[in-house]
Amino acid sequence: MKGNGRRIVEVNDLHHTYLRGSPLEVTALKGVTMEVYEGEVVGIIGRTGAGKSTVVQHLNGLIRNREPGKVIIDGQDMSDTSLDITTIRQKVGLIFQRPEEQLFERLVGDDIAFGPKKLGMPREERRERVRWAMEMVGLDFDRFKNRFTFSLSGGEMRKTAIAGVLALRPKVLILDESTTGIDPRGRRDLLSRIKGLNREHGITLICVSPNMEEVASMVDRIYVIDDGRTVMNDTTREIFARPEELRRYGLGVPQVSAVASRLAEKGLAMPRTPLTVAEAEEDIWRILSS
Amino acid sequence: MEDFEFLRNVTIGQYFQGDSIVHRIDPRTKITIVMILAVINSFILSFTGNAILLAICTAFVLASGISFKFMLSGLTPALPIIAIFALMQLFFYGDAYSPYGMELVVFWRWGIMSVTNGSIQLVIVTLMRFLEIYFLVSLLTATTTTTDLAYAIESMLEPFQRFRVPAYEISLIGTIALRFVPIFAEQLEIIMKAQASRGADFGGGGMFRFVKRTRQMATLIVPLFVDAFRRAEDLILAMEARCYTGGEGRTKIIRFRMERTDHIIIAATLILAVMMISFRNHFPV
Ligand SMILES: Nc1ncnc2c1ncn2[C@@H]1O[C@H](COP(=O)(O)OP(=O)(O)OP(=O)(O)O)[C@@H](O)[C@H]1O
Ligand SMILES: [Mg+2]
Repeated sequence: MKGNGRRIVEVNDLHHTYLRGSPLEVTALKGVTMEVYEGEVVGIIGRTGAGKSTVVQHLNGLIRNREPGKVIIDGQDMSDTSLDITTIRQKVGLIFQRPEEQLFERLVGDDIAFGPKKLGMPREERRERVRWAMEMVGLDFDRFKNRFTFSLSGGEMRKTAIAGVLALRPKVLILDESTTGIDPRGRRDLLSRIKGLNREHGITLICVSPNMEEVASMVDRIYVIDDGRTVMNDTTREIFARPEELRRYGLGVPQVSAVASRLAEKGLAMPRTPLTVAEAEEDIWRILSS
Repeated sequence: MEDFEFLRNVTIGQYFQGDSIVHRIDPRTKITIVMILAVINSFILSFTGNAILLAICTAFVLASGISFKFMLSGLTPALPIIAIFALMQLFFYGDAYSPYGMELVVFWRWGIMSVTNGSIQLVIVTLMRFLEIYFLVSLLTATTTTTDLAYAIESMLEPFQRFRVPAYEISLIGTIALRFVPIFAEQLEIIMKAQASRGADFGGGGMFRFVKRTRQMATLIVPLFVDAFRRAEDLILAMEARCYTGGEGRTKIIRFRMERTDHIIIAATLILAVMMISFRNHFPV
């Protein structure tokens, strides 16, 4: 299934070189191709330095492509210099690793309202946006809006920062390793809320994550990037059914998938590659009861 | 169009690996040369004198093998400020500055503004002096690792320890400060990108809309300071965890030795300094 069939992100043979012409020049992208349809949840995985962050920064115009390759967001070509970049940034929300480092206002509510204010939104509407965004990440509006930003706990700060991006009501939300460094419970909570954004509000999600369990439980499709190129592209189940190939790119598979492929080697094939413990449990019960 | 990459062009404080003669001479020699040339720089006000000095600095850059274009690219962010200062000097110095070695000629006058051969010379000479210092300092940090720099500063301050100059601490503070310049540039880039992602607009408003730009600064400065304090705390903890107690009685693996070439280079620079400074009133323009 590919969302509702409307292509919202299209990247074609993208190249990028950082610090071109300096002694520190690095070619980070050497041909990345991917497409994302509205309403999808897509994952990008790859070893460290593969170019994942560089790709996603192209998607909201933080890096504009001046090199071979095309980036088309919601029908608009990003290399077009007359393009209004703020509308693109509103459509495509990007959340970085450790987003709490971007907070600067004294009060939580003001910080979240920063984006809507920049868009010149009237007060009442702004308030509604902030309320909605806080609800989405699980911060109680009345309890938190007047709290001091820097007195929050790490997890709450992160939620505030994510709400700051959500308040722009993006159509596409990109998470670049944004759940690393919080406790497992807070992480599960955050992930399920983010999934809810996709299910209930149709927001397209693009997740970059080093954690294969997390990717397996979240996304429908995966792009594997290695050394600046797209090297694999398939549904999550198909990708994790190929552990040998993934290992070549310095990646692993979720533990349950690994166990399943070991069982298959020993002649006990499962009907499908399980992605989560729940799926594996279901399949094992089915095998045992048949 | 906005571009966030310029921050990486902070050339001061960045080390570039290399094997040129400039890389290889003793760090103490380098510091000494930079200091001597800086003294010359502060004495010489003439066009000819600065042309000689600029040529010497340029020769050093060429000898270091670091691309000239890249060296200059570090100045790009400062260009608007440099331009404003240059224009103010050009128009408002008026008759207050008599040109070096020439009669005053007024080319243009309008109210309190005027352009004289004095102010033109002043602008050119100021830019040259600025470039000289910029080249010297960037070159010093570009061709010397921070450890070598720290070692050099410490060993040069050692004789003053008798007068309770904390040589080791001074060199440590200097090293840490230099080391953190590129880290903060990188962090600033990340924060700028994060703020831009939620609607902040750093590109628009033009180079000269100061009020707007200043207000935008708050969205960067606050997170940057928070980060700086966090990093400082981490550093302190890391130092204490490794039982750091200060410089007293600490030994080193690598010891530098001044060689004959070092003495020759320093002597040559000194002779140059004496000559330039004593002839400084005899240059034609
Ligand atoms: N701002 C930058 N300036 C210069 N080089 C950069 C910059 N950002 C990334 N690079 C380089 O580009 C390459 C790709 O980096 P990128 O951050 O896209 O990788 P990544 O896949 O996101 O890695 P990670 O999993 O560690 O986040 C790396 O070699 C990196 O050193
Ligand atoms: Mg990354």
